[in-house]
Amino acid sequence: MLFVAAILFIFDPENLLGDKGILPRLVDHLLYTGLSLGAALLVGIPIGLLIGHTGKGKNVVIALTGSFRALPTFGLLLFIILFTGLGLWPLVFVLAVLAIPPIIAGAYSGLDSVSRETIDAARSIGMTEWQILGKVEIPLALPLILGGVRSATLQIIATATIAGYVGLTGLGRFLIEGLAYHDYTIAFAGAILVAGLALAADGVLALLQKLVVPHGVSRGSARTTTKSKRRSIPSAMTRAPITEG
Amino acid sequence: MQSPTVKRITAGFVAIGLTASLAACASGDPLGGDGEVDLGTITVGSQGFAESDILAQLYGQVLAAGGYTVNYSPSIGSRETFIPALQDGSIDLIPDYSGNLLYGADPEATATSSGDVMEALPKALEPLGLAVSSAALAEDADALVVTKEFAAENELVTIGDLAPIASTITIGANTEFEGRSYGRAGLESVYGVKGWKFKAIDDYGGPGTLSDLLSNNIQVADIYTTTPSIKQNGLVVLEDPESLIAAQNIVPLFNEKVYSVNFANLVDKVSNKLTTEELMSLNEISAGDSKPSPEKVATDWLTKMGLL
Amino acid sequence: MQWLWENRDLVFGLTLEHVRLSIVPIIVGFIACIPLGWLANRYRMTRAIQLTLFGILFTIPSLALFVTLPSVLGTKILNPINVVVALTIYAIAIMVRGAADAFDSVSRDVIQSATAVGFSSISRFWTVEFPLAGPVLLANLRVVSVTTVSLLSVGALVGNGALGYLFINGYQRDFPTEVMIGIVFTLLIAIAFDQALVGIGRLLMPWTRRSKTVARVAAPVAGGV
Repeated sequence: MLFVAAILFIFDPENLLGDKGILPRLVDHLLYTGLSLGAALLVGIPIGLLIGHTGKGKNVVIALTGSFRALPTFGLLLFIILFTGLGLWPLVFVLAVLAIPPIIAGAYSGLDSVSRETIDAARSIGMTEWQILGKVEIPLALPLILGGVRSATLQIIATATIAGYVGLTGLGRFLIEGLAYHDYTIAFAGAILVAGLALAADGVLALLQKLVVPHGVSRGSARTTTKSKRRSIPSAMTRAPITEG
Repeated sequence: MQSPTVKRITAGFVAIGLTASLAACASGDPLGGDGEVDLGTITVGSQGFAESDILAQLYGQVLAAGGYTVNYSPSIGSRETFIPALQDGSIDLIPDYSGNLLYGADPEATATSSGDVMEALPKALEPLGLAVSSAALAEDADALVVTKEFAAENELVTIGDLAPIASTITIGANTEFEGRSYGRAGLESVYGVKGWKFKAIDDYGGPGTLSDLLSNNIQVADIYTTTPSIKQNGLVVLEDPESLIAAQNIVPLFNEKVYSVNFANLVDKVSNKLTTEELMSLNEISAGDSKPSPEKVATDWLTKMGLL
Repeated sequence: MQWLWENRDLVFGLTLEHVRLSIVPIIVGFIACIPLGWLANRYRMTRAIQLTLFGILFTIPSLALFVTLPSVLGTKILNPINVVVALTIYAIAIMVRGAADAFDSVSRDVIQSATAVGFSSISRFWTVEFPLAGPVLLANLRVVSVTTVSLLSVGALVGNGALGYLFINGYQRDFPTEVMIGIVFTLLIAIAFDQALVGIGRLLMPWTRRSKTVARVAAPVAGGV
């Protein structure tokens, strides 16, 4: 069966190393993911925190990032390459664009979920705006901010497969090779590898999400704000921590 | 109890459901010719680069003029994909290249000249349930191409001249290049060119490949001989005295189920008039400033040739 | 742009095809998620199973599904159904998570009051829970819509990408204008769908017109390119 053949392919030691090996491509894939995520964080977190903290510019930013999400990544990448030629940076740029909306949404809704009373209380005891941000808002918002990062990471990992089409490497090469040679086994193996990587990354970030919930904040806090807050977060792409049981 | 809300929701569902089924049912209908005897539907595929799209249109439009209903299925991909597509009926006809087709169907083949290849093809294709009609005079072959400067620096004239520097170069081509008879295996066995790095750029010798070649990210590229960029950039095609790459005449490949004398006559009309020069000019028009669609390029040429 | 005018038939045809191919996953995703989401909400175990299953399914890059589905489904290689099924899987995956959370977000008090008043289980579902879950469902549906429209273009790599053809053809001919037109029309479809969904939402849920409730979309969108 296809699945079995793919698994055998993955665990065949011959396929692990070398020019077309799983490990080097995995490393490259992680490289693309890291660079794009880093760029997206650099842009997305400050913007998200800014509009979350001040509550201003929310509509403009949300509308803009909403339209980012609608951009067909594949087309955008090919378009840019026609001007820049092949290379790493068009890929990183496009993946970052893809990742910025969920990061902004996560940061924004994270800060949004911090109750006004808490912030007012902090202000009344004399904290400066920066202190409020750093000591109150961000720690309380961390689970949701990380939820946005988690969502962004998943998207990047899955979309980075396109690198294999434009002269780069990464796990997507298995998909493109499977396509070119019409070899379902290789394609399936590629699919499993990318899915596996995504799940692993998701698992790590989920763990992180649980770990950064500050003392005294119940795990269900993010959910209760759904009902108590009346602000609108149109198409917010945050991943609410799933409270199991 | 049926509250207004439920009625509203049900109505909404019904509306959406109707729209959906209408949309889903309105499948890509063949452009119906009216009145005339309909010879059936032919789906013409193409491989995913401009020239293939144009060739598909050439054959398709002639068939349409001859009474068939023609659909097009563009950018299918490599031979490994379109042969199964021909076999399972997803497409009926696709323009292909004689040499690569032969070696794809029969890896043990040895023919290299135009005539020999065309002679060997029918037998090679028979077990696959496929057939070809006459080949066009036009040829478009894979070619290993370098910049003028690189050729001068390394005194490159033939493919074999790459052998001494093979381990220092990167060859850029579509993914499937490596596995082809003129890929890793052939380059080593025929010309002793081995140890080179491979960079997969899946644009059929398009802009990505070209820009990498010009910026020396790759030193050799597989660019097809009728591609305008070769002339435009003064690129050097490395000669192939050992005929590693067999003759590549344009040839209509189809599922033998659609064969009829009428069918063959129609597609032959195109093949008989298509020379390499004509094909190159078609490519140049397609890549020219106004970037006409493959359909228009084909229609204009067919009209000029009196075939429509 | 002149090219657009001269090639309007091509672009228009591709746009129609794009609409046609992306509508089905959105609708099927929506319809399928209702029973699945209700199940997940009602029975915690099925929730875990469903979320895991669909969670895995949509970490598979769209290209992988496009390439391998014909062998799994036994369909013809170039059949657009392969692309539609793949996109539907993603749609369901996103919607199930969203639906589960949507039904989850309906306040227990309201449900209990409805039961107290005498609603049967089914009647209560359709007249109380479903409408209340509506805004969150809609928000998720809008995400599904945008994603589907965008991902469909990747199908061009397997010969079924509707407007994605313009990406490949434009790229191959070194013609950014064509690629840009493909991007623009894809965007236009995404916006049109989005506005339609918002309109339908206002129509079917008039009570939400006034208050903009928080519509939390609890679903990471993967599925890749």
